[in-house]
Amino acid sequence: MHGSGITREIFWNVKGEGFPVVEPLTYILALTAILFLVRGLIKAGLLDRIKMMMLATGSDVSRFDNIVERLKYALIDVFGHKKILREPYQGIAHLFIFWGFIVLFAGAGLDFLQVDIIEPIFHKHFMQGGLYLGYSIITDLAGILVLIGVIMMLLRRYRNMPKWLDNKPEDMIILWLILAIVITGFLVEGLRMQATELQPGDPMHKYAWASFGGLIFALPFTAMSVGALKATHLFVWWVHLFIVLGFFVYIAYSKLLHIFMTPINIFMRNTTANPAPIKAMPPSMFENAETFGIHKLEEYSWKDLFDTEACMRCGRCVAVCPAFNTDKPLLPRDVIQNLRTHLEAKSKFAIDKDGKARILPDEEYTGPALIGGAIEKDTIWSCTTCMACVEACPAYISQFPKLIDLRRYLAMMESDFPEEVQVVFKGMENNSNPWSIGAHSRADWAKELNVPLMSQKGSAEYLFYVGCAGAFDDLNKKVAVALAKIFNAAGLDYAILGTEEGCCGDSAKKIGNEYVFQTLATTNIGVFDGYNVKKIITMCPHGYNTIKYDYKELGGNYEVYHYTEILDELIKSGKLTLKTPIEGLGTMAYHDSCYLGRYNKVYDQPRNILGALNSGTLVEMASNHEKSFCCGAGGGRMWMEENLGTRINQKRTKEAIDAGVKTICTACPFCYTMLTDGIKELEKGESMQAVDIAQLVAKAAGLE
Amino acid sequence: MNTVVCLKQVPDTETLIKINAEGTGIVTEGVKWVMSPYDEFAVEEALRQKEKAGAGSVTLVSLGPDRVIEAIRTALAMGADTAVHVNDPAFAAKADPYATATVLAAAIKDATYDAIFCGKQAMDDDAGQVASILGELLGLPVVTMVTKLEVSADKKTATVTREVEGGQAIIDVPLPAVLTAQKGLNEPRYASLPGIMKAKKKPVTVKTAADLGVSVEPMTIIKSMTLPPARQAGKKIEGDDSDAKAVALAKALHEEAKLI
Repeated sequence: MHGSGITREIFWNVKGEGFPVVEPLTYILALTAILFLVRGLIKAGLLDRIKMMMLATGSDVSRFDNIVERLKYALIDVFGHKKILREPYQGIAHLFIFWGFIVLFAGAGLDFLQVDIIEPIFHKHFMQGGLYLGYSIITDLAGILVLIGVIMMLLRRYRNMPKWLDNKPEDMIILWLILAIVITGFLVEGLRMQATELQPGDPMHKYAWASFGGLIFALPFTAMSVGALKATHLFVWWVHLFIVLGFFVYIAYSKLLHIFMTPINIFMRNTTANPAPIKAMPPSMFENAETFGIHKLEEYSWKDLFDTEACMRCGRCVAVCPAFNTDKPLLPRDVIQNLRTHLEAKSKFAIDKDGKARILPDEEYTGPALIGGAIEKDTIWSCTTCMACVEACPAYISQFPKLIDLRRYLAMMESDFPEEVQVVFKGMENNSNPWSIGAHSRADWAKELNVPLMSQKGSAEYLFYVGCAGAFDDLNKKVAVALAKIFNAAGLDYAILGTEEGCCGDSAKKIGNEYVFQTLATTNIGVFDGYNVKKIITMCPHGYNTIKYDYKELGGNYEVYHYTEILDELIKSGKLTLKTPIEGLGTMAYHDSCYLGRYNKVYDQPRNILGALNSGTLVEMASNHEKSFCCGAGGGRMWMEENLGTRINQKRTKEAIDAGVKTICTACPFCYTMLTDGIKELEKGESMQAVDIAQLVAKAAGLE
Repeated sequence: MNTVVCLKQVPDTETLIKINAEGTGIVTEGVKWVMSPYDEFAVEEALRQKEKAGAGSVTLVSLGPDRVIEAIRTALAMGADTAVHVNDPAFAAKADPYATATVLAAAIKDATYDAIFCGKQAMDDDAGQVASILGELLGLPVVTMVTKLEVSADKKTATVTREVEGGQAIIDVPLPAVLTAQKGLNEPRYASLPGIMKAKKKPVTVKTAADLGVSVEPMTIIKSMTLPPARQAGKKIEGDDSDAKAVALAKALHEEAKLI
């Protein structure tokens, strides 16, 4: 016994007189495990996969700028579980295991420090007294947290498994390994305590409570003799050691690798303003490139391929995917996992016997193709680009933009897209709108409304960029009219472009036709800059997002606002007063548009406006804010038939019905159209309505 | 299989049409011009026949001013190989179907071809004459309104399905022949980006009517052209109940519309 006497002997019973070499042996075993881990990583192909990443030719955003900020963010996110805790159940379970293991690992480190560094060199024993008691309490607590966490996970995976999880043997092996580590650990502690401090007269007896975990696990052994306890303890100690080392080696062969890869991926997260950047295509590409988009793995960026390392198949992206939730063949997790499988398969061809990687000539590769092999065309076209996957991913993987790269190849190289899209492209090319309505009628909605034209006014503080829906779609023209009336009433200095306005090109871009997108975008930028436009108000979140981020890549720099931001401000500043109560709104809910919410974090302004109406009762649907459920029209899906699975707009409308909503409020023309259709299709026209927020504001301001 | 496709550039169906000051044609400024949609079927069929045969070329022929090059490039981007652009604004301005067919025939006559494709009619003037006159001038059989085409292995004959009222007729025709494309013949392709880039470098021969030795005068002259009358505003039938509305409707149909 040392000093205060509050301590325990490290390697008690294990380093007996009969077995003095146990310490070196333990360390040799631990080193062997590390060697096996490294060997495992190589055998499981990590080096080959890295070589493939280094072959990748695709462009990417910067991943190593602002290193300090990146490191800070990664540390906070990893240790604070910021994103993981968005799903409380899984988040807490993971948090318990994560922090439990860190504490236990640190505890083992302290033991090592004591017994093999401090004691032999400085002849000091610091693991005693209060420190030892604290150590005992904290490590036992950690063990119990891991136990709770792993049981929560086991229950979730094998009792109440959500349909979007895909259980594989590794999931079960990992959870049982963790469970075995904690249980054998506690058994070792319990057996030791029963043989020592729980024996009557032991000086540590009164401090046994500090090892409360061990205390519980000692209970079954109260009747055992000290000799039998020591024998059992020795056996379980070795079992525990080997399971721990086995777990360590298993990292190389399983999704446990995410312990290293996911934090690295978080460090390398996208920090550009655009939350879901799609590969930039400089206009010069259209002069000299020979191929566009991606149809071969190596055409992705190295980071696209690294994403496949960081995925631990948690399936959060699947859980929120509108395509998956309406039985379409798109599971964002599987896109990433299939890419990983494809990467492994292709590395077999691309890396020769000497371990050298090279870009494979097409004729030398006989494995499955990327498009149609690793990723099906129906998968590629099912995406609504709603960004729910990117937003949900705790590993900061960029899922859906990888599909847009494939769409680009199909659309621009092969003209291979759903056939109904051709007329949309032609409409954009010939009349600068996807509805294919004569471009000369773009400003017809504004007739007799006193809407100032930029060509007459010369300049204005704000350009009101109406967009195709407000200009050509009968339902959404009403929204444009409402906005014009509001802007006029509030005395806003604004103007529209009239027939000089063109399609923003969002649908073309997201369908993969970057060529048509850039043609439309550069035309618009020319017109905007011709009038020296600085600030733009858009009616449509798609135009908003596109002008804000995508036009920037083409040299168009503007301050872009969605109309809800402007209306919120006008109401707050008192320039717009909403005095007229609106009858019959009943229970209303705001449907977050993907491009306004997840893409641009405009969550509050639309809700503020609805609150300022003083009419109806505002509630939330089950999916809202970051987890809002897409209407089904993004990513050019507005223009495609929805032939697979059930209809996304109906799924969303049913959510409104379930929330007892009478009035669904939108701030996006696509959402407005889709939810209006959803209500009609579900025959709820008598009891429900969809309405755009601008129309409500116009009404409440007495402008109708 | 070598084919020739006659192209016409027409105003987009959605574009705003205005009658010119003389009242004899349309204002051509501010108009969005496109390839006549029936000609797209013709181009597509020529491409498909060439692809099926595994060899050959598709030559485009078009009459019109400078802007017509856009329609020609579109067809070249779809996959056509070469083009002859009869760029003769003075000739084109007054050309009727006969004059047009004459100049096209002159541009085509020295080419080697197994078939000539045209749209069944141009989307703008709907005359539907050029293909037939062209056949006459070149001494070729003409089959109009084609919805299906099968060419024999030796490219000497073709089995053609054409639309007739309420049904279809199947016709054997010796080649070369002039065939006019009806909707349903195929689904025209969307030009791929490599196609668009290649089209910029494909050869387009520019000629005038005089170069081709054509000096015909048009046989018909457009005397006047008018837009259809603007649609009248609808009238809402008012009434206290459905009976009263029915009476008002019957009265309006009888006295105002004079339909009953």
